[in-house]
Amino acid sequence: MSLSLVVFYLLGAVCLGGAVGVVVSRNVVHSALLLLVSLMGVAGLYLLLLAEFLALVQVLIYGGAITIIVLFVIMLTRVQEFRAMKDNPQWPLAVVAALAMFVLLAAAMIKGAPSETTRQSVSFEELGSSLFTQWAVPFEVASLVLLVALIGAIVIAREGGEE
Amino acid sequence: MSLIHFQVLSAALFSIGVYGVLARRSAVMVLLALELMLNAVNVNLIAFAAYGEQVQATGQVIAIFVITVAAAEVGLAMAIILRLFRDRASVDVDEVDLMKW
Amino acid sequence: MLFQIETVTNSGVQWAWLAPTLSASAFCAIVVLGRFLPKQGAFLSLLAIMAGFGVFWYVLSEFLSSGGGIFSVDWFTVGESTFSWGIIVDELSVVMLGLVTFVALMVQMYSLGYMKNQEGSFGWYFAVHSLFAAAMLTLVLADNFLLMYIAWELVGACSYLLIGFWYHRRSAAEAAKKAFITTRIGDVGLLIGILLLFNETGTFDITTIFHIAEQGGIGSGTLTAAVLLIFLGAMGKSAQFPLHVWLPDAMEGPTPVSALIHAATMVVAGVFLVARVFPLFVMSDTAMLVVALIGLITALITAAMALVMTDLKRVLAYSTISHLGFMMLALGSFGFTAAIFHLVAHAFAKALLFLGAGSIAHGTGDKRDIREMGGLWKRMPVTSITFGIGLLALGGIPPLSGFFSKDEILVAVLDGRGPLFFVLTLVAALMSALYMARLLFLVVLGNLKTENEHAHESPWVMTVPLIALAVLALGAGLLAPGLIPGYDGFGNWLFFEEPEAYHINFLVMVISVVLSIGGFAIGWALYSRKLLSADRIRERFSGLHRVLVNKYYLDDLYQWVINRVVLAFARFMALFDRIVVNDVGVNGTGRSVFLSAWRLRYLETGKVYNYALVMVVGVVAVALIWWLALPYA
Repeated sequence: MSLSLVVFYLLGAVCLGGAVGVVVSRNVVHSALLLLVSLMGVAGLYLLLLAEFLALVQVLIYGGAITIIVLFVIMLTRVQEFRAMKDNPQWPLAVVAALAMFVLLAAAMIKGAPSETTRQSVSFEELGSSLFTQWAVPFEVASLVLLVALIGAIVIAREGGEE
Repeated sequence: MSLIHFQVLSAALFSIGVYGVLARRSAVMVLLALELMLNAVNVNLIAFAAYGEQVQATGQVIAIFVITVAAAEVGLAMAIILRLFRDRASVDVDEVDLMKW
Repeated sequence: MLFQIETVTNSGVQWAWLAPTLSASAFCAIVVLGRFLPKQGAFLSLLAIMAGFGVFWYVLSEFLSSGGGIFSVDWFTVGESTFSWGIIVDELSVVMLGLVTFVALMVQMYSLGYMKNQEGSFGWYFAVHSLFAAAMLTLVLADNFLLMYIAWELVGACSYLLIGFWYHRRSAAEAAKKAFITTRIGDVGLLIGILLLFNETGTFDITTIFHIAEQGGIGSGTLTAAVLLIFLGAMGKSAQFPLHVWLPDAMEGPTPVSALIHAATMVVAGVFLVARVFPLFVMSDTAMLVVALIGLITALITAAMALVMTDLKRVLAYSTISHLGFMMLALGSFGFTAAIFHLVAHAFAKALLFLGAGSIAHGTGDKRDIREMGGLWKRMPVTSITFGIGLLALGGIPPLSGFFSKDEILVAVLDGRGPLFFVLTLVAALMSALYMARLLFLVVLGNLKTENEHAHESPWVMTVPLIALAVLALGAGLLAPGLIPGYDGFGNWLFFEEPEAYHINFLVMVISVVLSIGGFAIGWALYSRKLLSADRIRERFSGLHRVLVNKYYLDDLYQWVINRVVLAFARFMALFDRIVVNDVGVNGTGRSVFLSAWRLRYLETGKVYNYALVMVVGVVAVALIWWLALPYA
C-alpha cells in the first residue's frame, strides 16, 4: 500500500465522516462546522490530485466565505429552534433513495472505468491561459452571475421590502 | 490509488448529500447538504482532469465555475432564508407549503 | 368541331372573362358603396350587365372571324395536380353568354320599375342580381369542373337569396329553403361525380377529361356512375322529376326573379351542364336513356299539372319544368342542337311570360289567380299583346320560335328514341299547347271583370323589355333554318360531332302543327266559347283532378319522409349527441379529470422535500432503464 493511497484513505475518511456528520447532526452549528471539516478533506483530495490552485480556492471560498455566511445566517435566525429540529418524516425513504443512487453511480463507474493512467499535474500557467482565452466568455458570464446573485441577495434580504 | 477510488468517493459524498437534502427539515441544513453534492461533483471533475489521457485544464476550469456558482447560490439562498425567517418566524421547510392543494 | 378546342394564347374572344368579372365587381361595389349612391347603386348593376352584353357582341364577332379557344392560368398546385382556372369559348358558351347577358339585362331594367317601392333593400336586390349573373356567366365559361362547381353553388346561393327576398313573409322563407335544400341533393351528386372523374383522371379540366375518356381511360362502369351523378346535379338545378318540387314554390320571390331563374340562370344551368359534358354522356347508353326517360316523365307529368293550376305564376312554373323536360329529352335523344335551340327559344318566351305576369300583377293590384283575370287587353294593350306572343310561341304556333324548336325536338326524339317516346312527347306537346291556350283565353282575351276596371298599363321601363323579348320570341325561330346567304342555320353552327343541316321531316311537322293548333282550338272551345264545359270534365275525372291539384301528392310524400324518417333520425342523433357525445364524451372527460384531480391533489403536499424525493427516484429509475434497456450503455 503506497503512501498516497494511505493519505487517500485518511482524507476520504475525513471527508465522508464529516459529510455524514453534517447530515446526521441535530445541531445546525455543528453541522456547519462539520461541513467545514468535510470540505477541507476535499481540499486535501485536490492536493492529492495535483490541483493545488483548486485546493487553495476550496479553502478560501468554502472555509473563508461560505461557512462564515452560513454561520452568520444561523446567528441572525433563532438558534434555539435549530437545536431541536428533527428530520422530516420521509427520512427512511431518503435513506433508500440515497443508497440506490450510490449503488447506481458506483456500479456505473466501476463498469465503465477507463484504462489505468497516471496522475498528471496541470500547471498554473496552463490553467490561467485556458481560463482567460478558451473560457474567457463563460468566465465573464460567471462574474455576471455573481453580480446578479449579489444584487438579488441584497434586494431579497433588505429590511422592509416591497411587501 | 487510481481514478476509480476518487469516483467511488465522490459517489458516496453525493449520495450523502442527497440523503441530507431529502431528510432534513431545516432550510439551512438542506443547503449544507447541497454543498456536499456540489463538492462531490467537483471531486469527480478534478479526478478526471488529473487522470485524463492528455493534460488539459478543462476539468479544473469547470470546477472553478461550479465553485463560483455555488458561492452565488449560497449567497442567494441565505438571503431567502433570512427573508423567510423574518416573514414567517421559522426556517422549517414544512411551513413553506404554499403550493399545497 | 365542338369539343375539339385548341388552347390559344392570344385572341379577342378571351375578353369574355370581362363579362362575369364586371358583374361581380358591380356586386362588390353596390354592397360596399351602395348606400352612398343615388338609387342605392342599382345603375351599377345595370351598367355592368349592359357592358357584359356589349362584351358578348365583341366576343361573337371575334369568334366568328377567328374561332374560339381555351384560355387558362394556373391557380394553385397540390402535390402533383395543378389546378387552373380559365374560360372556354366555343359555340355553346357564346350562345349562353348572349342569352344570359341579354335576359339579365332585360330583367334588371324591368326590375327598376317593378321594384321601385322596395325602399330599404333596393340596392341589395340589384347586388344579388349582379352576383347571380356573374355566377351564371362563370358557370357557362368555366373550363374546369372546379370553377364550374364554385359557380354552380353560387348560382344556388343567389337563387336562395332572391327567392327569399321577401324573407319576412314566412312562405317566401320556406320556399327559399326548399329550393336550396332540394337542389342541394343534386349538388351532392354533382360533387361526387366530379370527384369520381378526378379520381380516375387526376384533373378537373373538362377537355382533358374528354380526351382521356375518348381513349378509354375511364372504366365504363365508373363513367356511367359519374355521368349519372352529374346528371343528378342537373336534375336538381333544372327541376327534373322527382326533384322538381322546389320550382313552383320559388314563385314566392319577386316576379322578375322568377323570370331570371326560369329563363337565363338557375334552371338552364342543369341543361347547360349536361350539354357541356355531352361527350361523356354519349359514351354511356344507360346514362342517355336515363336522361331521356327523366326528361319525358318530367315533361308529361308537369304539363298535366300546368293544366289544373289556377295561380298564373304556378302555371308558368310547371310549364317551365315541362319544357326543361323537353330539353333533357332532346339531349337524351342525341338532339344536342335541338336542346340548345329550345333552351334559347324557351328562355326568351319564358322571360317574356314572367315579366308579363309581373306586369299584370303590377297593373291589377297583385292578382295571381287566373280565374279573376280576363279581357286585360282592353286595359293593358302592350302587356297583353307581348304576353300573348309569348303564349303562342311556347304553344308551338308557327312561325313563332317555339314551333321551330319543338319541331326539332320531335324530330330528334323520333330519330333517336323511336315511336313510343315520340307519341308520348306528342302528348306532352299537346298539353303544352292546351295550357298556353288556357292562359290566353282566360287572362288576355275574354270579358273584362268589373274588379279589373282600374287595371292600368305599366311604365315604359317595364314594357320596353317586354317588347324586346317579344320580338325575339317571335323571330328567334327563324334562326333555325338558314334563310340568309352565308348562314346555314343553327344546326350547322352549333352541333355535336357533325353539322346538322336544317331538314324538314314533313310528317312530323304536320303532326306538330295540327297538335298545336288543335291544342289552341280545344282551349278556345273550353275556355272561350264554352262549347265544352271544363267543369264537367273536371267532375268526370275528379279523381285525376284531385291528384293533379295535389301535385301527385309528391310534396306530401316528401313531407312524410321528412317527418317520419329524417326527423326521427335527427331526433335519434340529437339524443345520441346529448347523451353520448355531450354527457359521456365532453362532460364525461371533464368530470373524470375533475374527480381524479379531486383525489390526486393530495399528492401535492406542497413540501419541497417530497418533490425532491420523487425527483431522485425518477432520476434513478430513468438511469436504470437506460442502462438496462439499452445494451450498449
